[in-house]
Formats: sequence, C-alpha cells, structure tokens
Amino acid sequence: MQSLKSPVKTSLLNLYQVKNRSNNLLLVLLVLLVVGLVLIPIFYLVTRASQKSLTQIQELLFRQKTFEVVATTSLLVLLVVLLTAFFGVLIAAGLHFVNLPYFAALIIVAVLPLAIPSYVFTYTWIALIPAFSGFLPAVFILFLTTLPYVILATLAGLRRVDGSQIEVARSFGLTHLQIFFKVVLPQIRGHISGGVLLVGLYTMSDFGAVSLLNVDTLTVTIQNMYRASYDRNAAAVISLVLVALSALFVVGDERFKSKTLRNKSIKTTSVKTYSINKSSYQVTVFSTIFAYAVFAVLVPVYVLLSRFISNPVAVDWSSLLSASISTISVALFGALIALILSAPIGALLSEKPTYFSRFTNRAILIGHALPGVVIGLALVSFGSKISFIYQTTFLLAFAYALLFLAKSVASMTASLARVPEGAKEVAATLGMNKWAVLKNVVTPIAAPGIALGTTLVFLTAMKELPATLMLRPTGFETLATQIWSSAAISRFNEAAPYALVLLLIAAIPTFILSRPDKADKPLSTQEIGN
Amino acid sequence: MRKIIYFGLFSTLLLTLTTGCTAASPKVSELTIYSGRAEGFIAPFFEIWQQQSGIKLNVRYGDSAELAAQILEEGKNSPADLFLSQDAGSLGAISTEQLFSPLANGVADLIPAQYSQTNRDWIGVTARVRVFAYAPDRITITPKTITDLTKPIYKNQLAIAPTNASFQAFLTAVIEKKGRSFAKQWLLDLKKNGVKSYAKNSVIVEAIDKGEVSIGLVNHYYVWEVSESLGRPINVVNGYFEVNDLGNLINVSGVGILASSNKQEAAIDLINFLTSEAIQNKFVTETHEYSLIQSINPPKDLPSLAQVGAPSIDLGLLKNIKNTQDLLIEVGLL
Repeated sequence: MQSLKSPVKTSLLNLYQVKNRSNNLLLVLLVLLVVGLVLIPIFYLVTRASQKSLTQIQELLFRQKTFEVVATTSLLVLLVVLLTAFFGVLIAAGLHFVNLPYFAALIIVAVLPLAIPSYVFTYTWIALIPAFSGFLPAVFILFLTTLPYVILATLAGLRRVDGSQIEVARSFGLTHLQIFFKVVLPQIRGHISGGVLLVGLYTMSDFGAVSLLNVDTLTVTIQNMYRASYDRNAAAVISLVLVALSALFVVGDERFKSKTLRNKSIKTTSVKTYSINKSSYQVTVFSTIFAYAVFAVLVPVYVLLSRFISNPVAVDWSSLLSASISTISVALFGALIALILSAPIGALLSEKPTYFSRFTNRAILIGHALPGVVIGLALVSFGSKISFIYQTTFLLAFAYALLFLAKSVASMTASLARVPEGAKEVAATLGMNKWAVLKNVVTPIAAPGIALGTTLVFLTAMKELPATLMLRPTGFETLATQIWSSAAISRFNEAAPYALVLLLIAAIPTFILSRPDKADKPLSTQEIGN
Repeated sequence: MRKIIYFGLFSTLLLTLTTGCTAASPKVSELTIYSGRAEGFIAPFFEIWQQQSGIKLNVRYGDSAELAAQILEEGKNSPADLFLSQDAGSLGAISTEQLFSPLANGVADLIPAQYSQTNRDWIGVTARVRVFAYAPDRITITPKTITDLTKPIYKNQLAIAPTNASFQAFLTAVIEKKGRSFAKQWLLDLKKNGVKSYAKNSVIVEAIDKGEVSIGLVNHYYVWEVSESLGRPINVVNGYFEVNDLGNLINVSGVGILASSNKQEAAIDLINFLTSEAIQNKFVTETHEYSLIQSINPPKDLPSLAQVGAPSIDLGLLKNIKNTQDLLIEVGLL
C-alpha cells in the first residue's frame, strides 16, 4: 500500500502520530458504521419493547416466571461453560503437547460437531433414548455442540506459546503439569476466554436443543411469546433481558481475560517444543477425545445412517447438489462480509484499549446471545422496507455476518492482544503508516486468529436455520433448510444425506484450519526476512 | 437474482400503469406463497397447480408461527400473496391484524363454514383429529373420556407432548369448554398418575413402539408417519374417545390471501384448487389427513369425522394459547 513517504527517518515517529489522527478519524467512522449495523437488532428490540406501557414491561420483568427462566438460563450457561472450559483445554492441550496416534483424525473429530445443528444433535439423541429430556440432558447436548469453540480457540493460543520459556521451565525440572499451569496457561488465558465467550453466548442463544428437551430458558420464553400469543412486543422485552444477561457475561469474561500475559517481545518461531510420550497422558487424552467422538459424531451419524438404511429413499442428487452449492456460496459470502466488517474492529482492538474500543467490543458481543429468530425478524422488519435487497442472497449473507461477527472478533482479539507494542513502534520508525503497520506487522501475527474467526463464521453459517428460513430468497434451499424440512415431518431418513454432506463439507475447512504441519510454522524465518 | 429484481421492478411499474384500468388485470406469471405446511407433504400439490395454471409458484417453507410473525413484521410490504398454515392459530394472528383480504362467497364453497374464520379471512383446507395412540397388546381397556386417563390402570403408561402446538390447542379447548379449574385438576391428576412428557408427537409414537410407554395423546397421522419413516409396521394403533369427548378435537390447516397482494384472482384460483374435490381426495390418500368436505372418504383404515364425533368448538377460540401455557407452567408440565 503506502510505504515510505518521507526520507527523514528521525522525525518519522512524530509523523506517524500526526498521521494517525486523520487515520483515527477514518477508523472511528468505519467502526461506528459496523457497530451501527450490528446494533440493528437491539434497535429493533428497543423500538418493539417501547410499544408496551411501562407497567406492562414491569409486569413482564418482575413476574416469578422471568426470575425462574433467568436462573435456569444462567445455571445452564455456567455449567456448559465450566464443562467446555475444562474438557476443551484438556483436549486442546492434549492434541498440542501429547504424542498421539491418528493425530489428524482426532483433531478433525474434535472439531466436526461444530457442523451439526443443535436440533439435529438433539433429535438423534432423542431417537436413541426417547425419554431423553430435561435440564441435565440439555447441559450435555450443549456441552457437546459447543466444545469445539474452546478446543479451537485454545489450539490457536497454544501455537503462539513461547517455546523458549517451556525449555527454561523444563531445565528447572518442572513436571508437565507444572509447566502447563505456570508457563502455558497464563499465556493462553485470553484465547480460552475467547472460546468460552462463544460457548456462553451460544448457549444463551440456542433454541433447538432446549426446546426439544423441554428446558425453559429465555429463548424458549421468547419463542413461546411469538407462538402462544403472537406478541412481538412482549418477546422484545424478554429479548432485552437476554441482552442484559449476555452483557453481564461479556463483562465477566473481560475480567478473566485481563489477567492474560501480554507479549513483550516478537516471537520468531513457534516450533512444537516438546511432545509428551508418557502413556498415562496418551491414554487419558486419547480416550477423552474418543468418548467425545462417540457422543458427538458417531451417535448422530449412526442414528441418521441407520434411519436411512432401514428405510432408504432415492437420494435427490440434484437437490442435494444445489443445496450444497447454495450453502457453501452463501456461507462463504457471509464469512467474507464478516471478515471485511471485522477488519476495522480488529484494527481498533489491536490498539491500546480505550473506552471506545471496549464499548465496540461489547456492542458486538452482546447481540450474539440473541436467538436467530429475533435477528431474523429484526432484519425482516428493516429489509422488507428496502424491496430490492429483501430476500436476496446478499441480505442473507449479510445476516450471517451480523449474526456471527462476534465469532470473528472474539477469535481475533486474543491474537491481536499478542502483537507487541514494540513491534508496531519499530515499524513506525521504519516509516510505515498505520495501515502499513496493520498490513505488515499486525496481520501476520493475527493471521491464525483471523483464519479461525472466518472459518467459524463459515461453519456456523452453514448450519444456521431460523434467520435462513426468514431471509433466504424464496425457493432458495440450503442443507440446513432441507434437513429441517425433512425432520419437521419425522423423515430422518430423508434428512440423513443432507446432514452427512453438511458434515463432509465442514470437515474440509476444519482440516485445513487444524492441519498440524501448517500449524507449526505460521511464521517461518523467511517470512520474517521479508 | 438480478433478473428477479428487474422483474419485480418491471411488474411494479406495469402494475402502477394498469391499476387505472380495472377491467384487464395483468397476466400473472408468478405467485408467492408462504407455507407452514411441510414441503414433503404439499410440494406435489403445488406442482400440479403450476402445470394446470401455467403460473410459477415461489414457495417459502417455514414454521407456521414463525411465518406468521414474519408476515406481521413485513406488514404491507409482504412479498407473499398467500399464507398456508399448519394451524388455525397462526392464521388467526394475521386475521387479527387485518392483513388478509376476506374471500368472497363462492370461493372454496365446498368447505363447511365451521372450519373457516367467520368473516372468511381464511379457509380451512384439511383436518387432523386428536387421538390416543396405543399398543394394543398392552392396553386392553381403552379410555372412553380424557378423564379415564387419570385412572390407575394407566399409571406410568401415558405420554403427552406439552410443548407441542396440537396438544396445547387441545388443552385450550378443554379450558374453553370445561373451565380452567377442571383442566388444572385433570393435569394434576395426570401428573399424579405418572404421565410422561415427550418433545414431539412422533417421539411419543416411537416410545410406545419401543415399549417405554403404552398410550399417548397425539394427532391421528403420526402412527402412519412414524411407520413410513421407519419403513416397517409398528406395534401402535389409533384409538378414539367416545363421541363428543374433547379428546377427539379437530384442528385444521388453512389458507388466506394477503390484502397486500395484487394477484388476488390467481390466489383465489389456487385456493379453489386446494379445496376442490379431486385435490381433497389426494390429500387424504397422500398425507393421511382428513378432508373437510363431508362426502369425501376418511384416510385408509380410519373412521370418518362423523364417526369420530368431534366436540363442536369455534376454532377461532384456539388462537390464544397463552392461558394454556400459563396453566401448563403452573402445574409444572412446561
């Protein structure tokens, strides 16, 4: 882009700061634009909720039921978060440090459940055990669906752990566990917290699993208000309760993250420093991942396949193909828009934290807890007024970007936080302006986080259902809508091919993302030499 | 995509030009329908109409209640010409906001008036009956009324789906007809009798087949649907309560035309098609639902609506299930 402009290098640092002001204005404007877009659903909710009188709102907020539902939702989130944090870090650390057989297969299996829609997950478990219902099964299902968020985020962090520190620790004779807790964990807290954040927000927003398992969470209450009394304004009031709860969660997560060690130096390589060959570790990690694979991949695939085999239907190949192409293209389109929208956010968050950046981060995250149906209706409300974009693939892709922007931002921030201030200053004295610094210094370091975020958006957009049903062009079918339309009339056998293709497609980016050889050298010496 | 947009702009232009002269309505080439009825059941019917009329149908499949919310949100900007719903409640919500245009007499005239909105905002298309599905080898004495289900012989045997819309519609009818305190006591007695809750009707039927429970309250077509889906006969059959018992409630799927649509004539044509004798017969054989036309035979192996003896109730009353849900919450079933 723009490179050296002034030959006088001594004054360049000053110039950098001066230039930054105009750049800052542009950045702030871009960020405000993105935040404005992200806040569309919240704006919609406030507008709707304000149609209710104050006393009606009070009644809704302070009735017994609201307290119960908030309590159930909070407890659900808490349990799922704790379980995923524990097992996610265990699995990720195991994959990273322990020498395991069938490594590639294990890593794919550990991430694949991300591609299975939670309602399919739940259906298949209910098909296996008809009495599967209630709070603990919901914890179990949501734990299974969201675990990959923590695994992926932790893996991304582990790849950036300073190997030399581990070497030093080993030379002092620390045990593996001591090294992990004293050297590794403090460096990856930010990444773990990014993953946990997504887990918590997802759990709050989930409708598929909790509704099928008969657990009364905020999303179920919201949905019931649409279904039972077609009262959109009451649903908006309860949705705002959900927004408030997610805000609390986001702030709590920030506290946890703030204890992360920030890098002070540029790390040149991130070689896999050591791999543990102890059999007790190998058995523990392997069996944990194996159990996860059985519960989260084999059970759904087995149930779907056995339904399909016991009552085979002629697979409609052309509809399968067109649904696959539609799914991939619109999800990619959405991931691309999310990437573009998150660029200014990333630039802002890579700076020293300010009130503005904190506000931005929160604004983007809190909307993430809203169920798809609310975001869908908000965009219906806005989009239907602009007839030339309403029910086009563009609006659908845009909806995906808004729905999942938090995923790319949350994945990015941990990586961005690791960009050492010193590196940026050095680059500035070399005559780079802000954008050049962003491009040449920040982006390479944040690349894994950005790739992770974009892939997460892609994967989750592929299985998104409620907003897709409302915003897709009429007649446009994705794999998720096809699965839904068969499952809605109990034709699991017809849904099976679509669900299996969804898994296959999801395996590809998952594999690329987690390819061990790639992971070990994100910053090769040649790149540094450039 | 762009073609569609241009076409949209073009047809709007055409429309503004032609609205002045009412006599020659523009030749309609496309019709948009929001369908809460599943694609697997309804698509073949739409296919026939497309071929007969030469009009292309753009069908948006979704959940009935969510589609209703979407239409309410779109308001006058709705691209939909028709709304075909799985249940009367979703149609009622659109009707309350006066977004339907009432159908003239003579449209869908084979459908008896009791199965439509009183002002003919929407018209019933097919019916489903509430039944008890049961395993005949384990349940030798079948219940005569819903109150019988609270008897000790059904202890720990009965399954219901409290979150399901059809169950809630049935319970709404109980509240409307017998009063809230009766309904509450009945639910509490069921609980005392060890009633089991399941997520869906189809899951109840599967649970009966597997022997987890022996009897369950579902819609009449689930036994057939589950057996089709599993690809084998199952050990579950339908049973009916005595004539006029609320357990035999009838609920309908129905259709209405959006007032904002400028393709009223083509839409009326589609409604007449769906309620014609030939197509109603096809519904019965292919989706195992009941036709609302009295002269048409019931689904295979099932008694006629007259034999079932459904309780008479204004379907419009089933719209607001809020009280019903509150009751279910109160007794701890939701």
